[in-house]
Amino acid sequence: LKMMLLQGWLGILFCSIHGMLGSVLDCEVGGVHCTMSIEMLLDRAIQHAELIYRISEETRTQFKETFIPLALVTQQGHADHLCTVILPTPSSKSEVGQISDKWLLHSVLILVQFWINHLVDLQASLDHYDNTPQDLLDKTKWVSSKLMSLEKGLLTLIRKVRWDVLLFFNKNSIADHLASPRTMEHVMRDYTMLSCFRKDAHKIETFLKLFKCRQTDWPGCSFY
Amino acid sequence: MTNTLYAGWRECPEYTASVQNECYFNKTYTHIWTSYRVQLRDTAYNITYDERCFTVENIVHPDPPVALNWTLLNVSRSGLNFDILVRWAPPPSADVQMGWMSLKYEVQYRPRNGTRWEKMDLESGTQLSIYGLNTDKEYEVRVRCTMSAFENFGEFSDSVFVQVAQIPSKESMFPVMLLLVFGGVGLLLLLLLIILSQQERLLVILLPPVPAPKIKGIDPELLKKGKMEQLDSLLRSQNVCKPHSAPKDPWVEFIQLDMEDVVEKSETSDTQHLLGLTHLGSSHALSLKGDDDSGRASCYDPDMGAEPESIPPVREVHSPVVARSSFSTHIHSTTTTPEAAGMHIPVQMQPSSQSWINMDFYAQVSDVTPGGGVLLSPGQQSSTPSKNTDMKKKKEDREEDVAEEEEEEGKLQLLVVDSDGGYSSETVARQQAADAASSRVAEQAYHTLSEPPQPHPQAWQGGYLAPDRQPHMPYFSPEAPLASVLPPVSDYTVVQEVGGSHHLLLHSAAPQASVCPPHPLKLPPGEPALPLGYLTPEFLENLSP
Repeated sequence: LKMMLLQGWLGILFCSIHGMLGSVLDCEVGGVHCTMSIEMLLDRAIQHAELIYRISEETRTQFKETFIPLALVTQQGHADHLCTVILPTPSSKSEVGQISDKWLLHSVLILVQFWINHLVDLQASLDHYDNTPQDLLDKTKWVSSKLMSLEKGLLTLIRKVRWDVLLFFNKNSIADHLASPRTMEHVMRDYTMLSCFRKDAHKIETFLKLFKCRQTDWPGCSFY
Repeated sequence: MTNTLYAGWRECPEYTASVQNECYFNKTYTHIWTSYRVQLRDTAYNITYDERCFTVENIVHPDPPVALNWTLLNVSRSGLNFDILVRWAPPPSADVQMGWMSLKYEVQYRPRNGTRWEKMDLESGTQLSIYGLNTDKEYEVRVRCTMSAFENFGEFSDSVFVQVAQIPSKESMFPVMLLLVFGGVGLLLLLLLIILSQQERLLVILLPPVPAPKIKGIDPELLKKGKMEQLDSLLRSQNVCKPHSAPKDPWVEFIQLDMEDVVEKSETSDTQHLLGLTHLGSSHALSLKGDDDSGRASCYDPDMGAEPESIPPVREVHSPVVARSSFSTHIHSTTTTPEAAGMHIPVQMQPSSQSWINMDFYAQVSDVTPGGGVLLSPGQQSSTPSKNTDMKKKKEDREEDVAEEEEEEGKLQLLVVDSDGGYSSETVARQQAADAASSRVAEQAYHTLSEPPQPHPQAWQGGYLAPDRQPHMPYFSPEAPLASVLPPVSDYTVVQEVGGSHHLLLHSAAPQASVCPPHPLKLPPGEPALPLGYLTPEFLENLSP
């Protein structure tokens, strides 16, 4: 029943996001007469990020419930402490306040691109399990597609603000980024990866929101 | 404590004084998205009792929301339920506005003395509607929040209490309304039942059956064809038409004389008309008559006055062969017989003589000339002495008039048969019958409304009226011999032919429903029975169709 609920919810999400993202893509593909303001692009990006984060959380939870024995869970909780730092990012609100807008956006882009690459590995790994719920696989695929959409939107956004685009391609495998012994079971590794992804998705969402706050010049957005 | 970036451990900066076994690391020690590891160690012995790993965002418990309040949305019509809108504000410590934190809220409520909290779905906004609360209960509402997509809820906010006073007027209205509705429905059902059960009776009342011919007290079998003799005897022996105190003859009063006609037509013209007309559209007259007479018996009807009014058109159509005696006519049709010599005209002097103007249909015999002529007087007078009631008086007067006229005329023995309600004609006919022994005529006569059957002991020969003023006497004398020869003189007898000796042959028209009891005898033999008079349902029942 829970699977069905998740599936249904995913379906709704897909439809809503697809409709939402469609215009962005059309805008890029169509090219000529598409004018989308920075605010609109930003809002779309934030919506993407929020959804991605929520789905990543659900994926992680579902994975944990399906594959991780209880004993391990209680002790470990979230395994995201094992994540390696992909990019030095601000870790507190004060630090964020010291980062430029440009850097914020670039950080997001790097994170997105990282995880686009590595979710593929995760999906491959998930396929190897015997009893992987289809719902789980669908979610990961969905997240990957949305990440790619988010990347495109971010690139458009960066071009609009006329920054130089830093492309950061991290070709290393995910295993390199996990500060965990290799003897870790696949399950734990996958779980860790999901946790890390979730954390980074949260980061992406937060950065985008902060960036928006700065752009719209809200009084509440001032850090100082 | 250590984090993955730093290699070094840092000991708890502050051990909480008030609480045992508690260490406080303020926010300078932590960063978001950074993993930390906490160990509980015994430094002396280098024993690690416990270890925990976390990242900051995973262990965040937001502060409770603030400023919780509620407003009433609406109350149900019955006054038993109400809806409220609950509002709150995010905790001030959460930087929601900037987007640093995204919070989700959970509202819970319960009745005041309940034990179980009702949990609403997670709400990302700062307001929520609660539906379906009872007005007679007080509710407690509280809210808490968590970071979106995280699992840790903060503390609950302070509870607010919700209560809505009952509105008694609305409540009391409701049962009253129900009562009214049910009462109305019940009444309708009752009415339906009554209608259904009394269907037949109602139908009879609403749609009165058309009366069939029937004479009261006479076996309907006799009314069928061919049993004239028996009927004659029966009718003669009976007081068919009960006397009844007639009011002033209203219909006489209501008669509107067509003065033009009166003026135009002199006696002679009338007679000429009469004479000249051999074949009158009896049906014509009849039809006219028929239209006029809607079955109201002249016997019963005090409002017979209405009928004569309808007659004037007839009159104008063709002059009064059929009736319209009114004034002048001294046209009496003789049904038959013999102009017996004995003009035995009972004289009843009419004291007054009036001008033509006041003449009505039924001219009264005001005087009888020695030569046997009858002087007519206007019938409107009410001062004629009479032992009877006005109606009778009138009738008698008429009879007298007729008789007088007869006398006057002498030769012409015409019965003035009115086309209207056979009042006069009937009386005339009656008298004729009595005297002339026309059984049919006699039979006809009985009804006239209020009049008692008038006895006509005098033999009337040649159709002269021999009115007998005594009321309540058997109308028909058994002496009426001539029965078979003559066709029954109906109420509205139409002159068919003028006889050689200036007598008119009456053609009894189709019967008119003017008699109180149905008068099948008016029917010429062979003609279908038409409804005569107003039948009561009892008569109907007696008649076997």
